[in-house]
Amino acid sequence: MKKMMSRFWHTLSITSGAIIGLGIASVAAAAEDVLPALEYDLTGARLLKVNSSQLFESTNGGDSWQAIPLPEAVRTGQLVVAPAAAEQTLYIAGPSIGVQRSDDNGDSWYRVDEGLPSRNVIAFSAHRHQVETLYAKIADDGIYQSDDAGESWRKKDSGPVQPVRRLVHSDMEGSMQTGWLYAVSDDAVRLSMDCFCGWRPTGELDADTVYDVAYEFDEPERVYVATDRGLWVSDNGGKAWLRIEGDAPELVAITLAPEGTLYGLDRVGELVRSNDQGRNWRAIPDA
Amino acid sequence: MRNRGVLVTTWLLLSTAGQAMADDAPLSHDASQPIEGEQIYQQHCASCHGIDGEGMPNWQRPNAMGELPAPPHGPEGHTWKHSDAMLYRMVSEGWRDPWNETERLTMPAFEDVLTPAEIRSVINYLKTLWTPEQQRHQAEESEGASFPMQSE
Ligand code: HEC
Repeated sequence: MKKMMSRFWHTLSITSGAIIGLGIASVAAAAEDVLPALEYDLTGARLLKVNSSQLFESTNGGDSWQAIPLPEAVRTGQLVVAPAAAEQTLYIAGPSIGVQRSDDNGDSWYRVDEGLPSRNVIAFSAHRHQVETLYAKIADDGIYQSDDAGESWRKKDSGPVQPVRRLVHSDMEGSMQTGWLYAVSDDAVRLSMDCFCGWRPTGELDADTVYDVAYEFDEPERVYVATDRGLWVSDNGGKAWLRIEGDAPELVAITLAPEGTLYGLDRVGELVRSNDQGRNWRAIPDA
Repeated sequence: MRNRGVLVTTWLLLSTAGQAMADDAPLSHDASQPIEGEQIYQQHCASCHGIDGEGMPNWQRPNAMGELPAPPHGPEGHTWKHSDAMLYRMVSEGWRDPWNETERLTMPAFEDVLTPAEIRSVINYLKTLWTPEQQRHQAEESEGASFPMQSE
């Protein structure tokens, strides 16, 4: 197993299908580690994990993993996986690969990024509810949105000025449009309504590197953030963060399953689970 | 038009907006005249959004009351990101940021103050403050999300 990890991508995403992201990150970050990514797929009731440029699924909470074939173009670099609301449908995205879609759980993949100006996709998310709406952050360019499952794309915003490693769409209330987008950069989590009418900082995080963000499906105001200084939680969509005093290892990817079960990956892709909102964590041995 | 009688004087002092009119971009299918929209703007909106649409100082950060101040409407703001339908709804029904510490509508509702035609008219005036590119972007956003009650 290659231990190439990059700090760019992980996963999570939230449509009822699944998005996967391959992340290579921008030039500046290209030399850094590639991080694993984790995503819960509601439709398929499974965990999706990207590690060392391979994609896995687990339908038993991480006790065992099965490989899902990736497009041949995937070699190394950051990847993001995103479930789509249809069963068997997955997106995978990353700087080396652009955006590809599979309708047969990885047996075959096809490009859905012809309408993007570049394949340098450093962050990717599917809309929480709108099956055909996708968001892709192109390095040094901006955020593109597709409303037809990738057939055509339109630039919506230049995004936060800080490099974005992670985009997460949320259906939290209060947006002028249909929801919100979280953008995770090294220094902070930023938030915009999905009309892209302004990025706001979320609450202060005492951390040097922010890795990932995830929210509860049934209660989207409850949001978790993984940083190099531990886990933080918010009950108001990120307006203010509270540090979780717990025994979590340094997690670089997190995701939530229904009923609030939290899953996390450490740097080498080992899975841990918490059933008490991030305080106590249990390693789940790789079968 | 209602409310003409209450007209304040500020709008008379300046009318720089016409110069910003870009004739190469589609504004709206609406027939209302931007000049009328400008008058409505100066009378009802300028006190908060500024006589040139410049917004309040530090508009991107919550003020001492924990409320987001009125944003600018020009190229530096994000009014141009919204479709006609959305702009109409905000002006008509009002708006507050969900993270505001207060509950009041900081952006007041104008549905009992302005007629639908006046609301369209003032929004069409806001469009004259944008760059041609922003006007194009907003026109595309408005496809399938146009003003309600176009006929009125
Ligand atoms: C009492 C002050 C006040 C007045 C008068 C007022 N506004 Fe506002 N407006 C605001 C505030 C404050 C906001 C920001 C609300 C928020 O996001 O929390 C706003 C937001 C807006 C927005 C949304 C802008 C964006 O980029 O999202 C539009 C459009 C708007 N106003 C148009 C108007 C128009 C047109 C008028 C006159 C008919 C008007 N406003 C009058 C205070 C005002």
